[in-house]
Amino acid sequence: MSSNTRKRPAPPPPKKPSPAAQTPKHHAVSQEDEFVDEDVYLDEDETLILEDEEILRDIEDRRAIACRLAKWTRPPLSDAYVSQSRSVVFQQLEIDYVIGESHKVLLPNSSGSAAIIRIFGVTSEGHSVCCHVHGFEPYFYISCPPGMGPDDISRFHQILEARMKEVNRNSKVPQYVRRIELLQKRSIMYYQQQTSHPFLKIVVALPTMVTSCRGILDRGIQIDGFGMKSFMTYESNVLFALRFMIDCNIVGGNWIEVPAGKYKKTAKNLSYCQLEFDCLYSDLISHAPEGEFSKMAPFRVLSFDIECAGRKGHFPEPNHDPVIQVANLVTLQGEDQPFIRNVMTLKSCSPIVGVDVMAFDTEREVLLAWRDFIREVDPDIIIGYNICKFDLPYLIERAETLGIAEFPMLGRIRNSRVRVKDTTFSSRQMGTRESKEVTIEGRVQFDLLQAMQRDYKLSSYSLNSVSAHFLSEQKEDVHHSIISDLQNGNAETRRRLAVYCLKDAYLPQRLLDKLMFIYNYVEMARVTGVPISFLLSRGQSIKVLSQLLRKSKQRGLVIPNVKQAGSEQGTYEGATVLEAKAGFYEKPIATLDFASLYPSIMMAYNLCYCTLVTPEDARKLNLPPECVNKTPSGETFVKSNLQKGILPEILEELITARKRAKADLKEAKDPLVKAVLDGRQLALKISANSVYGFTGATIGQLPCLEISSSVTSYGREMIEHTKKLVEDKFTMLGGYEHNAEVIYGDTDSVMVQFGVDNVEAAMNLGREAAEYISGTFIKPIKLEFEKVYYPYLLISKKRYAGLLWTKPEKFDKMDTKGIETVRRDNCLLVKNLVTECLHKILIDRDIPGAVQYVKNTISDLLMNRMDLSLLVITKGLTKTGDDYEVKAAHVELAERMRKRDAATAPNVGDRVPYVIIKAAKGAKAYEKSEDPIYVLENNIPIDPQYYLENQISKPLLRIFEPILKNASRELLHGSHTRSISISTPSNSGIMRFAKKQLTCIGCKALISDKERTLCSHCKGREAELYCKTVVNVSEQEMLFGRLWTQCQDCQGSLHQDVLCTSRDCPIFYRRKKAQKDMAEAKLQLDRWSF
Amino acid sequence: MEAMEIDSQNILQRKQATYSSLDDPFEIHKETYRGQQYSQIYFARLHLMRTLLYSLAPNWKPHLPVCTILELEKDRECIIVGTLYKHMKLKPCILDEYSKERSVTPLVKPHNFMHPDDTLVLEDDSGRVKLSGSVLLPSIYVTGVVVALLGKETDAGDFLVQDVLEAGLPPQIEHSLKPREDKHVVFVSGLSVGGSTSNPLQFQLLIDHITGHLGDEKEQGIAAEIVHVVLAGNSVEFPRGLLNGQNLASKDQSRLSEPIKELDIFLTQVAASLPLDIMPGSDDPANFSLPQQPLNRCLFPGSSAYNTFRSCTNPHCFEVDNIRLLGTSGQNIDDLEKYSEAKDKLEFMERTLRWRHLAPTTPNTLGCYPFVDRDPFFIDSCPHVYFVGNQDKYKTDLIKGSEGQLVRLICIPKFCDTGVAVVLNLRNLECHTLSFGTEFSS
Repeated sequence: MSSNTRKRPAPPPPKKPSPAAQTPKHHAVSQEDEFVDEDVYLDEDETLILEDEEILRDIEDRRAIACRLAKWTRPPLSDAYVSQSRSVVFQQLEIDYVIGESHKVLLPNSSGSAAIIRIFGVTSEGHSVCCHVHGFEPYFYISCPPGMGPDDISRFHQILEARMKEVNRNSKVPQYVRRIELLQKRSIMYYQQQTSHPFLKIVVALPTMVTSCRGILDRGIQIDGFGMKSFMTYESNVLFALRFMIDCNIVGGNWIEVPAGKYKKTAKNLSYCQLEFDCLYSDLISHAPEGEFSKMAPFRVLSFDIECAGRKGHFPEPNHDPVIQVANLVTLQGEDQPFIRNVMTLKSCSPIVGVDVMAFDTEREVLLAWRDFIREVDPDIIIGYNICKFDLPYLIERAETLGIAEFPMLGRIRNSRVRVKDTTFSSRQMGTRESKEVTIEGRVQFDLLQAMQRDYKLSSYSLNSVSAHFLSEQKEDVHHSIISDLQNGNAETRRRLAVYCLKDAYLPQRLLDKLMFIYNYVEMARVTGVPISFLLSRGQSIKVLSQLLRKSKQRGLVIPNVKQAGSEQGTYEGATVLEAKAGFYEKPIATLDFASLYPSIMMAYNLCYCTLVTPEDARKLNLPPECVNKTPSGETFVKSNLQKGILPEILEELITARKRAKADLKEAKDPLVKAVLDGRQLALKISANSVYGFTGATIGQLPCLEISSSVTSYGREMIEHTKKLVEDKFTMLGGYEHNAEVIYGDTDSVMVQFGVDNVEAAMNLGREAAEYISGTFIKPIKLEFEKVYYPYLLISKKRYAGLLWTKPEKFDKMDTKGIETVRRDNCLLVKNLVTECLHKILIDRDIPGAVQYVKNTISDLLMNRMDLSLLVITKGLTKTGDDYEVKAAHVELAERMRKRDAATAPNVGDRVPYVIIKAAKGAKAYEKSEDPIYVLENNIPIDPQYYLENQISKPLLRIFEPILKNASRELLHGSHTRSISISTPSNSGIMRFAKKQLTCIGCKALISDKERTLCSHCKGREAELYCKTVVNVSEQEMLFGRLWTQCQDCQGSLHQDVLCTSRDCPIFYRRKKAQKDMAEAKLQLDRWSF
Repeated sequence: MEAMEIDSQNILQRKQATYSSLDDPFEIHKETYRGQQYSQIYFARLHLMRTLLYSLAPNWKPHLPVCTILELEKDRECIIVGTLYKHMKLKPCILDEYSKERSVTPLVKPHNFMHPDDTLVLEDDSGRVKLSGSVLLPSIYVTGVVVALLGKETDAGDFLVQDVLEAGLPPQIEHSLKPREDKHVVFVSGLSVGGSTSNPLQFQLLIDHITGHLGDEKEQGIAAEIVHVVLAGNSVEFPRGLLNGQNLASKDQSRLSEPIKELDIFLTQVAASLPLDIMPGSDDPANFSLPQQPLNRCLFPGSSAYNTFRSCTNPHCFEVDNIRLLGTSGQNIDDLEKYSEAKDKLEFMERTLRWRHLAPTTPNTLGCYPFVDRDPFFIDSCPHVYFVGNQDKYKTDLIKGSEGQLVRLICIPKFCDTGVAVVLNLRNLECHTLSFGTEFSS
C-alpha cells in the first residue's frame, strides 16, 4: 500500500525532489548554525479523513483497550469554551507552521497557499489547544541601492518575481514575491553616524522562498539602470516560527491570550486538540512571563521506555527484532506522582500491582495500542532516555518493517505521520554528534540523555550511572541477550521484564523532577525567547541571535546574513593564564574573582557590533578621543554617549533580571515559585555568558572577532593589572606584615598569598584587596573576594587541589581541578588513590601517611592483592575494528569476545570494560586486554607493571612532585616494589600435560593423597593453618552475603534471581568475584574435614 | 574421682542422661557454591510457611478469600501471604562503601538502623505490594518474616493491612509424664579465652565446680547432677588481625594458636568427666555464615580424644532425656536488635518462635549459606528449651503457646564479662545462675 504517495496530494516543495514524499525518512545534514525552514503541506484530502475514521472504527473493535484509555482523556470543556464566549489563555509549548490555503474569512483579500503558524499549548484547566495563526508572512531585508525610486522598486519586483518563478516552478502560489516595501533601517554592523538608510523589505509567499530568493540575490540580478547587482541580505536566516515569535513578542513557553470574538473555531478539526481555532496574528496577546503569567500550565508529561528482543550477538535492529514491551508513565506537571502507569506487552504478562498491564498477541497490536494511548492521553511533552536516537526511531522503523502504515500518527495533527531524519549536529560546545530528529507535531520531545550531555560533565552517561549520580540509586541492568530469554519464557518472566521496563521508564521522570529540567528549560526559553524544542536540538548561538534580533527590531537595526566565512577570519589570542608557581602552600591562599568578567567587560567598554568603528572610519570620522575606547587589541569602539551598544544592553538586562530573580528567590516561600525563579536565574546566567562566545564563533551567525579579541585582551590586561596592584600595595613597605605574592592567575581569578597564617586574616586582606582593586576599574567590572584555599596544592596551570574556605571557622570542601579524580578512562584505582592521597595531604595534613598509603597500594598491586574491579578500564566502542586506524585495546578485545561468544560481546555503542593481563613477552599493549569476567573465571594474572607505569605513576608524580624532593624514587622505586612473581598463564602449552598433585596447605610441598592437607612438617601448625583457612572463608562469606543481598535490594525482589549485568555498578565484578572466591575458599576448607 | 573416694563414704555417681543430636539440618555436607543465589532460600521459606499459613487461614478468618498479590483487586477484602521486606533508610549499604566520596561525617551509629520512615512491603513469588495502615508496625517486623495479612488494596495501590496472622508457636512433642529426677544442663557462652577481659581463674573455678572438684559434699552432690555442658559460642578470641594473607612470623604463629591451646586444656578437663557440646560463635575460628559448621577437631587435639566431646553446629538442636533444646550463639537475636525493636531480648526470642523461624533476617542482613531447596532455620517442632548465647544479661522466661506448648527461654550472658553460667533443671525446666568471682580485695 503506497499510502505515502496518497499522503501528499499537493506537489512537494520545490528544489528537493522530496525524498520525504517517498518515505517518511530522509537525510539532511544540518549544522548547528544553519537554520533552514522546511515547508510541510497540510493534507486536506477527503479520502484521508475517511481513512482516519476507519482507524477510529478499528479502535471501536478493540473496545476493551479503548475503554481503558478513555479514562485518561483530558478534562471536558466548560460551556464558555464550547460557546466561544470566553477568551482562550494558554501556555504555548510548541510553535511550527504548515502550508495551507489562506483563510477565506479572516483574510478575504488573499488566496493560494500560505504559511499558517500553529501554536500548541495547554490552558490552566488542562485543555489542549491548537491555534492556527493566519496572516503572518515571511520576509527579509536588503539594502536599497542608492538612487532607487518607487518605479525602480516595482521593476525590481517584477524581475525578482520572474526569477523566482524559474526557480520555484512547482509551487502553486499566485505570486512569489508578495510585495517589496521601502523602509528606513540601519545595519547593526559598525558605528555609523547617519541614523538610517533606505532598506527594502521583501515579503515572499512561503517561508522556504526566503532561502531561494536569497540565493538569487546573492548570485546577482540584472536590473535595468543598475546593471548586474548582487545583494547582501539581512535577516534572511531567521526561521519562520522564530520570526513570528519575535515580531509578536512571544517568547518560548509564555502565555498567549486570544480574546473572545477574535477567534473562529475551525470548520473541520485538523488536530486532536480540544480547542482548535483560527485567528489573525495581529489579534494575539502575548503575556510577558511575569507575575501571574510566570506559572506553568498542567502539562502532561509522558515518560516511556521500550524493550526489544534482540538476536544473540546483535544489538536490536528494527528490521529484524520485535518490540516486545512499552512502558508508560504519565505525570501532570507540578505533581510528584504519575497518574498513569501502564505497560504494553507482546504475549501474556502477569499483573503488576498498581500498573495497568495490557498484553497483546501480535506486535502490530502492541504498536497500535501505543499509538492509541498517545492519542488518548495526548501528552504535551514526551520524555525518556535516549528516545530521540533509539526508542522513537525504532518504533517507527519497526512499524515500517511490519507494514503498519497507520502507526506513525503520533502527533496532534490528524493524518500526519511522524517524520524521522538523520541529522548531524555539531557545535563548538559539544563537538559533532550524529542523531535522529523525529518530528512529532505538537508535542515537545525531551530526551534526558541529550539534556544530561548538554548540562552535566559526567564520566558516563548510561542511565545507570546517571541515576547513581543524581538519585544515588543503582539501576538494575538486564543485558539485552537475556531480554529475549525472558520474553520467550512464560507470563512470569515477561512480568519480570515489564517491571524492569517500567523502572526504566520511571527513572527519566524522576531525573526530570530532581534536576528541575522543565522549570529550567522553560525559563531558559522565556529568557532567550526561543521555542523549548530549540534548546535541546540546537546550539547556544540561536539563543543569542534571538535576543539580538528582538533588541535590534526595537532599535530599527537589521542584522546582515554574513556568509559563513569558515575559519578564514583566523583566530585570536585567548584568555591569559598567569604562570603557576607550582608548590604546596601551607599558608592560606586568597582567591580574587572577577564576577562575570566577560559580560562586565562588554558592558564597561560598550563593545558591540554597532559601536565598532572600522579602521577607515576611524580615520575618516575623526572622532574625539574622549568618545572612543581603544582596546588593548587595537580595535576602536565608541563610548555609550555616542551610541549605546546592543550587546551591552542585552547583558545589562540579563544581569539586572538575574539580580531581581535572585532577590525574589530569597523572598519566595512556595517551592514551585522557587523552582521557577531558580531556573530563571540560572538561565539568565548561562545566557549572559554565552554572548561572548557568540561573537567569537567563527562559523556562527554573526562572528565579530574584533569584539571577542577585545574582550579577551581586556581580560588579560585586568589580570596583569590586578597582579601588579596586589604586589605593589600589600608589601611590608606599605605597612603590611608580609609581602603579598600572586602565585597563579586564571581566566577570571587571581590567587594571592598574603603571607598570613590564619584564614580569617587572609579573608580580611582578600576583601580589602578586592575592594581596593575594584575601585580602579570601570563599572560594572568588579573584583570579588569569595574564598580562601588552605592548604593549597598547585601542580601546574589548570591543575590544583585545596581545601576551600568561605568562612573562617570550617572549610567547606575539598576542591580539585584538572586532577584525575573523575576521568573516566582511568581505572577506579587511580581515582581512589588520588582522592585518598589528597585527603591525607590536605585534610589530615599527613604527608608521610599519604606516602605510606601509596607504598602500600603499590605493594598490594604488585603482589596481586588488588581488587579486580579497581583495575577495570572502560572505553566506548564507537566503531567496529576495521574502522579504527590504530589497534586499540578495547576494540581488539571486542573482536576476541565476539569470537568467544557473540551473544554477550560488546556492540558498537557499548562501553567495553577490560583489564590488562600478563601476556607473553613482547605482546603488544592492545593484545593484553581482557574481559574482567573472563579473567575472574580463568584465574588470569593481571599485569601490575602496566598499571604502575601507565595508570598510576603520572597522576601520583603530579601530586607529589611539588611536595617531595625525589617523588619518583621515593614512591615508585624502593623495597615496596619488590613483587612476588606471578606465573604467566599456565593453562596452555606444556602445562596441559602436567599432572595436578595436592600440595601442603602450609608450605606448598607436594603431599600424597593420604595426607590430604598438611605435610608431616606442618602437622604441628595445624591449628594456626586451619585458622588461616577458616578466617579466609568467613571473610568471603561475609562479602558474598552482603553483595548478593544488595543486588536483591536493588532489583526489588527477594524471590527471583538477580539478572542485573550492569558493568557500571561498583559491585558488579566484586559480586562475581565473591561467587568464585567463595567456591574456592570452600574447597580449601573442605580439605580439612576428615 | 579418686580424691572423692578417700574423702567420703558415699561414692558420688554422676547422673547419666540420654542424648541425641538433631543438628543434621544445620550441617552442610555436599552443598557447594555453584553460583546459586539467595532467591531459592526465600522461595523455600515462602513455600513452607505458605502451606502452613494457608492451613491456618480458614480458622482465622473464615469466608475470606485467600489470594496472591497478583490477584489483588481494589477494595476487595482478602488474605495474602508473603515475605515481608522492610525498606530502611539507614540500613548500611555496601554500595556506599565502594562508591561514596570520602566524607568527613562518620557513618550512622552501628547498633541500630531503625528510622521512623521505614516501611514494609509484602512480596510473594508473583510480586510485591506496599503495606499501609497502623496494624503492622515496621518497628517490630524485619525482612524475611513470612506472615498472612488481611486487608484490601487502596486507591494508591497500597495494601491496607487490617489484621496480621503469624504462624505461631510450632507444635510441641509432649514430654512424658513419668516423674523425673533433678538433672542439670549447664550453659556457658562468651568464654573468650585469650581475650582481654577473659579471666582464666574464673573459668577454672567453673570447671572445678562442674567436675565436682569444688565445695563440700552437698555442693558436689549438686555437681553430680550436671549431665551436660553446652558452650554456646565465642569460646576463644584469637588475633584475627595477624591473618592478612602473608606468612606469619613464628612469634605470631604462637600468638595465634596459644588461646586455642589454652581452651583445649580447659575443655579436656570437662570432657574427661561429662559430655560437652561446643558451638561455634561469631568470634570463633569458624565460618561466618549461618549455619556455622562445627569447630574443626584439629583445633582440639586434647579434648577431641574423648567421646564426650562434641563439636556442634550453630544453631544447635539436641535432645537430652527427650527434652528438646534449641539454641544459637546469639547472632540471630543480635541482628534482630539492629533492625527492629523490642523491650528485651526475650521478646525477640519469642518472636522468632512465633514466626517459626530462627533467623528471619538471613540472608538479608545476616549471612547465611545459599541453600537451594530448603530453609534449615524453619522451626517445625517447638523446643522445650530455647537458648541464645553471648547476651549482655542473664534473662529467662517461660512462655506458653496456644496449644499448651511450654518453652523455657534463656539468654546466656557472656561469661568473660559477667562470670555467670546458667543451670537448667531438666525436671521442671527451672533455671538458675552460677556466678564465679575472683576478687582478691576482700
